[in-house]
Amino acid sequence: MTALARILAVGFLSAGTLAYELLLVRAFAIEHFHHFAFMAIGVAMLGFGVSGTVIATVRDLSPSRAATWFIAASLLTPVALLMSPILIHRIPLDPTQLPVSVAEIPKLATVYVLAALPFAVGAAAVLLGLTASTRHVGRLYGASLIGSGLGAAAAIGILWLAAPEPALALPAVLAGGGAFAASLTAQRRQQVVLATLLTIGSLAAFRWPPWEFTITPYKELPQVEAYPDAKRTAERNSPVGWVVAVEAPAFRYAPGLSLAYRGAFPPQRALFVDGQIAGAAARWAADTASDAVLDWLPSSAPYSVVPPERVLVIGSGGGTEVWNAVAHGADDVTAVELQPSLLTLSRDLATVPPAWARSRVTWVSGDARNFVARTAARYDLITLAQGGGYGLAAAGVHALNEDFLHTEEAYAHYFRLLTDRGVLAITGWLRTPPRESVRTVLTLAQALHQVSDGPTARQLIVLRSWGTVTVMARPAGFSDREIATLAHWARSRQFDLDWYPGLEAPQSEFNFIDEPILYRAADAAVRGAESAQQFAAAYPFDVTPATDARPYPHHFLRATAVADLLRLETGSWLPFAEWGYLTLLATLAQSAVLAALFLILPVAVRRGRRRGLGPLVLYFGAIGLAYLAAEIAAIQQLGLLLGHPVYAVAVVLSAVLISSGLGSAWSDRWGVARGWAAPLALAGLFIVYAVFLLPLVHQFQSASLPARAMVAFAALAPVAFLMGFPFPLGLRGFQPEPDRLAWAWAANGFSSVIAAPLAALVALDAGSPALFLVAAAGYAVAALVWRIEGSRPG
Amino acid sequence: MKQRATPRFLLLVSAFVVCTPGWGQEAARFTRQRMAMVDLITAHGVRDSATLDAMRKVPRHEFVAPETLTRAYGDHPLPIGYGQTISQPYIVAFMTEVLRPKPGMRVLEVGTGSGYQAAVLAHIGCEVFSIELIGALATSARDRLDRLGYTAEVRHADGHHGWPEGGSFDAIIVTAAAGYIPPALVEQLRTGGRMIIPVGSVYGVQNLILVEKRGDGDLRTRNLLPVRFVPMLSGIR
Repeated sequence: MTALARILAVGFLSAGTLAYELLLVRAFAIEHFHHFAFMAIGVAMLGFGVSGTVIATVRDLSPSRAATWFIAASLLTPVALLMSPILIHRIPLDPTQLPVSVAEIPKLATVYVLAALPFAVGAAAVLLGLTASTRHVGRLYGASLIGSGLGAAAAIGILWLAAPEPALALPAVLAGGGAFAASLTAQRRQQVVLATLLTIGSLAAFRWPPWEFTITPYKELPQVEAYPDAKRTAERNSPVGWVVAVEAPAFRYAPGLSLAYRGAFPPQRALFVDGQIAGAAARWAADTASDAVLDWLPSSAPYSVVPPERVLVIGSGGGTEVWNAVAHGADDVTAVELQPSLLTLSRDLATVPPAWARSRVTWVSGDARNFVARTAARYDLITLAQGGGYGLAAAGVHALNEDFLHTEEAYAHYFRLLTDRGVLAITGWLRTPPRESVRTVLTLAQALHQVSDGPTARQLIVLRSWGTVTVMARPAGFSDREIATLAHWARSRQFDLDWYPGLEAPQSEFNFIDEPILYRAADAAVRGAESAQQFAAAYPFDVTPATDARPYPHHFLRATAVADLLRLETGSWLPFAEWGYLTLLATLAQSAVLAALFLILPVAVRRGRRRGLGPLVLYFGAIGLAYLAAEIAAIQQLGLLLGHPVYAVAVVLSAVLISSGLGSAWSDRWGVARGWAAPLALAGLFIVYAVFLLPLVHQFQSASLPARAMVAFAALAPVAFLMGFPFPLGLRGFQPEPDRLAWAWAANGFSSVIAAPLAALVALDAGSPALFLVAAAGYAVAALVWRIEGSRPG
Repeated sequence: MKQRATPRFLLLVSAFVVCTPGWGQEAARFTRQRMAMVDLITAHGVRDSATLDAMRKVPRHEFVAPETLTRAYGDHPLPIGYGQTISQPYIVAFMTEVLRPKPGMRVLEVGTGSGYQAAVLAHIGCEVFSIELIGALATSARDRLDRLGYTAEVRHADGHHGWPEGGSFDAIIVTAAAGYIPPALVEQLRTGGRMIIPVGSVYGVQNLILVEKRGDGDLRTRNLLPVRFVPMLSGIR
């Protein structure tokens, strides 16, 4: 009875803490920004390691004493999970002021501590549970992993049912269940009553949240809601985002509109995802002629070249480009949008003139890569925006921001869906210095080489307005007549053509930039792959084409160039121009310093017990790093297969953690003498994954969702089962004394914390296959340590 | 008796304030910091003497929130409430220089904020018309400019419509980001006039754009540098 109750308690407590991690990331991402959420939670994860270090300093922790403390820590976990969000929401932190205001630093430190508290208390409970029952380490650790997997699924599931604000009470409810199970191990009435009250209190917090989200005033939602007569007309929840529609008479949205436009604007409703503008649903009316505004947007350029019959809009957002296609006479328009609530609202809130009813509009909710892989249709125009895709960060796992819509493979796929006269058009903001637009040119040219043998020089056109760039590509090439028509259209709107077939020197008539970067990029790109590579290598930013293995089209900083760029005269803008990458570096630095401090300090304090700790710390550190690296690489690659961040996070986290949990429980039957075999096998397997997983993903991309989910599960479950072995085997092998157990826990926890930002950096700079190789290296080191210390284990 | 006592009391307080060593030291410290700020702006390449002179004279610390007073002369934007900021001094100087301000020039400012940019232009001698969308900021900026002796008309209005009854302007300076350039502002810019505006994604990094209206009515834009402004709000609150 006691053993079963302890296993249940550990499972529920782990579910609560992992659910808290995911839901707190969502809360911070809504209230602040994703980069801050990643940094705050990344550092707060240190709480896991700290629990091990604290318990390591306790002398002579007997199993019976650990059992008593286990109950206390279990009862404290739901309390911490309730108090943490309550107190965090009372701190007036403004992360945007961190680079300039020292006053914000103590507030940030307090947020770190408060966020770390539930992780520390929850992890301490699990560790004390392990210390109390060393005979069933595998089973108990397995329960922790399985609980974490179920906690991840529960956190994602609750976001379909409830708003993020009340959902933040779910972790305390789960941990309340853990506290109840833990109280049964001692069978004391007061503890059982207390655990029951805590569970009831957590449920009450779910119904009446004792915290209130405060969205930073620098997001658009609070600002638009402050407009005269503004009112929130719709609100939808899902794990990929909190979508809000606001009606405000003064709101207008027309990105890149021509300076020559003098006509009317349609009334629009603003659409927001996590408080940030995502588009506008308009009321188009024939009598006001406000639809004329559409033809003055730079994204209308392709319609002057070819009046399309069938159009595919990838990432339809608020629906502007859908109605743009209809207004330009398309018979058949397909809109694909990843964010389901945004798709629904943009479709339902728009009103159109009766004449537009002649066009057939199909709205598809889902991932565009999956759609293009399975559709048999062909299109005269495929249009998308440069920054259209939502990354997995939206699901609250990490801030890597993968975007599979703008990779070389994606562009090649779009080209294959075009009719003979079809055009692919991509529009985005022009940044200074140009980055996305340069990468778009190079990536399109590279993809064109894959699908056609014709001269690329006739296949590309680059149009620039005062603030946007539209790149058009057509495998069949553009004719001189079409170019002349486009040039006339562009001139009347005061747009410039930076590149078109036949252009021999850079030109600007209306909009001037310091250097003709886009001309040079296009000129280099059409000359061939080698010329394009030379151009990219010489460019101060990383503008090489993104690929499915390294799907980061919005990442431009080279790690080696950060110092040089900061030294430039314009370097002062770098922190806000590329702050995602800098936040990642800051997270890694803070985690590394704090981890070193919390590992080295206690060792220095306890001089007499250092012997043999080196190999133990190295072993558990290596498997912690390897586990996280493999998990993040799998999430990234299977995200492409599953086509939806929610599916990827749910399947990968649940499959990996639950399978690892089962593996951990089964490892109790595995002899310690062969303990090195599991990490060695994992090292070999991850080398295979580095080579073959992505081709496997491409192979099954067009399959149905259940089939793809089964492939993902089949690809992960066996290896994840094996990933559950090294930790409990190590505990048994490296002598299960309480303080060593705690050190193992601390080393593993700390390396896991450092692994998250480190893995993100590896993925950004080298790609997910390299991340699998890092995982392989970690497990190889663990196997080696075991072999070298061969006489000691067992 | 009471009527005579009050001026004496005020006089006493004034004398005390003037003679207080802390007050004088603080004023001198702000002056030193302001000179250092202008040195930094000059080092970054701003050369227009009228602009630099205004930046030397206008007390920026009067335009920041009390809690950010110690950072008033740092080269970075500061929050002034309502999600708005007072721009980085270098950007204020850069935008002012780009407008080529001269005494008597009619300048429309969209986004008054705390009134600092309006004060700089007014110090140069420009006729300043400033629009602020947030009522509380418009009121406080108007009071502040009056108190400090700067002449500027401040209106609580929607900047997207410009100042229609104000005629045409020699220069328009927009200090809040917009996703597009409002047609009304283009219309209210006189031929030969210059407009400077941050445009691009509303949150994130924008480009500072110079728009020039030529004799033939055509517009020319020049991409100057990346900046980050608070978003330009449409509507009045």
